[in-house]
Amino acid sequence: MTYFIQILTGTLGAFGFAILYNLRGTKLLIATLGGALSWGTYLFFGIWFHSEPLRYFFAAIAVTIYAEIFARIKKTPTSTFLIVPMIPLIPGGVLYYTMSYALKNDWNNFVTSAFYTIKLAMALAVGIIVVSTLVRMFSAVLKFLRDKNGNKKDRKET
Amino acid sequence: MDSEMLLSCALDIGEKMLISGAEISRVEDSVKRICKAYDVKRIDVFTITSSMVATLEDKDGKSITETRRITKHHTDLTKLHKLNDLSRKIVRRVPDIHYIRNQIDEIEKGTKEYNLPIQCTVSALIAGAFAIFFGGAFLDGIAAALIGIVLKLIVYATEKTQVNMIFANVVCSFAVCSIAFAFVMLGFGYSTDKIIIGNIMLLIPGVALTNSIRDMISGDIMAGMLRFCEACLVSLAIAAGYIIAALIFGGIGK
Repeated sequence: MTYFIQILTGTLGAFGFAILYNLRGTKLLIATLGGALSWGTYLFFGIWFHSEPLRYFFAAIAVTIYAEIFARIKKTPTSTFLIVPMIPLIPGGVLYYTMSYALKNDWNNFVTSAFYTIKLAMALAVGIIVVSTLVRMFSAVLKFLRDKNGNKKDRKET
Repeated sequence: MDSEMLLSCALDIGEKMLISGAEISRVEDSVKRICKAYDVKRIDVFTITSSMVATLEDKDGKSITETRRITKHHTDLTKLHKLNDLSRKIVRRVPDIHYIRNQIDEIEKGTKEYNLPIQCTVSALIAGAFAIFFGGAFLDGIAAALIGIVLKLIVYATEKTQVNMIFANVVCSFAVCSIAFAFVMLGFGYSTDKIIIGNIMLLIPGVALTNSIRDMISGDIMAGMLRFCEACLVSLAIAAGYIIAALIFGGIGK
C-alpha cells in the first residue's frame, strides 16, 4: 500500500513539474508516465538490492532508455523526457536531513548525509551517461553500416 | 552569404536552447551543425552555463567572433523542442538567413507558458504530493499544498523583480519553513519535516546537481563545476532560510 501511494504521489509530482516546465499534449503524458516508471523501477530493484545508490542507478538506466526511445519517436531532445521522470528520484529528503543536522550541530551526521546526497546524484548521473553513451555508439555504428551499403535508404536527418 | 548574420542567428538559437534547459554538448553541437550547413571553413564553439563564445572562419578566410552572456535560466521544454526542430530544419534545407531570423522571433513570441493560476495549482499539487511521498500524513499533504501556493507566488515575484538568486532562495525557504512551523503549532499538520520537504522539492536544485555531474563526466568540466557550485550555493541558501525560521520558531527539538 505504501508503495502504491509512493508511485501515485511521485507521478503526481512529476506531472506538476512537467507543467511547470511547459510540456503539453502527448509529451506531457509521456513525461508523467516516466515518473511512474522511475519510482517503480526503484521499488522493483528493492526486491534484490538494499543499497539505495544502486537502485537509483538502475532507475536512471530505465528512465534514460525510456527517454531515448520516446525522444526518437517524438523527434525531440532527450532532456524532454529525462528531466521530468527524474523528479521522484531527486534526493530532496536527504538534502533536508543534511540541513537539519547542520542546525543541530551534528557535524558527523552532516558530513555523512552530505556525501550521501552527492553519491545519489552521482548514481543518477552515471546511469544516464552509461545509456546515452551506448546509444550514441550504437547509432554511430548504424550510420556507418548504412553509409557502407551505399545509401540504399533515403538519407535521414541526423 | 552574410557570415556575421549567420553566426549571430546560430548563437541566438544556441543561447535560447541553453536558457530553456538543453545540455552543453547539445548546444555546442547545434551551433556547429547550423554553421557547417552554410559551408564555412571552420567553426569553434565554447559554452559554459553562463557564457558562450564562437568563432567562425568563412570561405574567404575572414574570421568573426561573437559572445553571449547568459544570466538566467528558465526551463521551458516546449521552447527547447521548437528550437531543436528549427536547427534540424536549417541543417536539412539550408534556408535563407532572414527566414531563420523570422523563425527565431516567432518561437520567442509564440511559446506561451501556462498562466499563473495554473502554475500555483500545480505547485500546490507538487508540494502536497511530495509531502505524502516522503511519508507524511494526508493532513501534512494539505498543509504543504497550501504553502506551495504561497511559495509559487513568492518565486513569481522574485523572478519578475529579478532579485539576486541566492537571496531569493533564502527568502523562499524562510517563508516556507516559518509557515510550516506555524501550521504545526496550530495543529494543522503533524510533522514539520514532511511539510517542509514537500515544498523544498520545488526549490531544490536537484536537476542542476545531476546535470552538473553529467556535464563533468561527459567532458564539459568547466560548465559542470559552475553548475555544481551553483547547486551547492542554492542548497546552502535554502538551509539558511530553514535555520533562521527554526531558530525563530524554536522548532529545533521537534
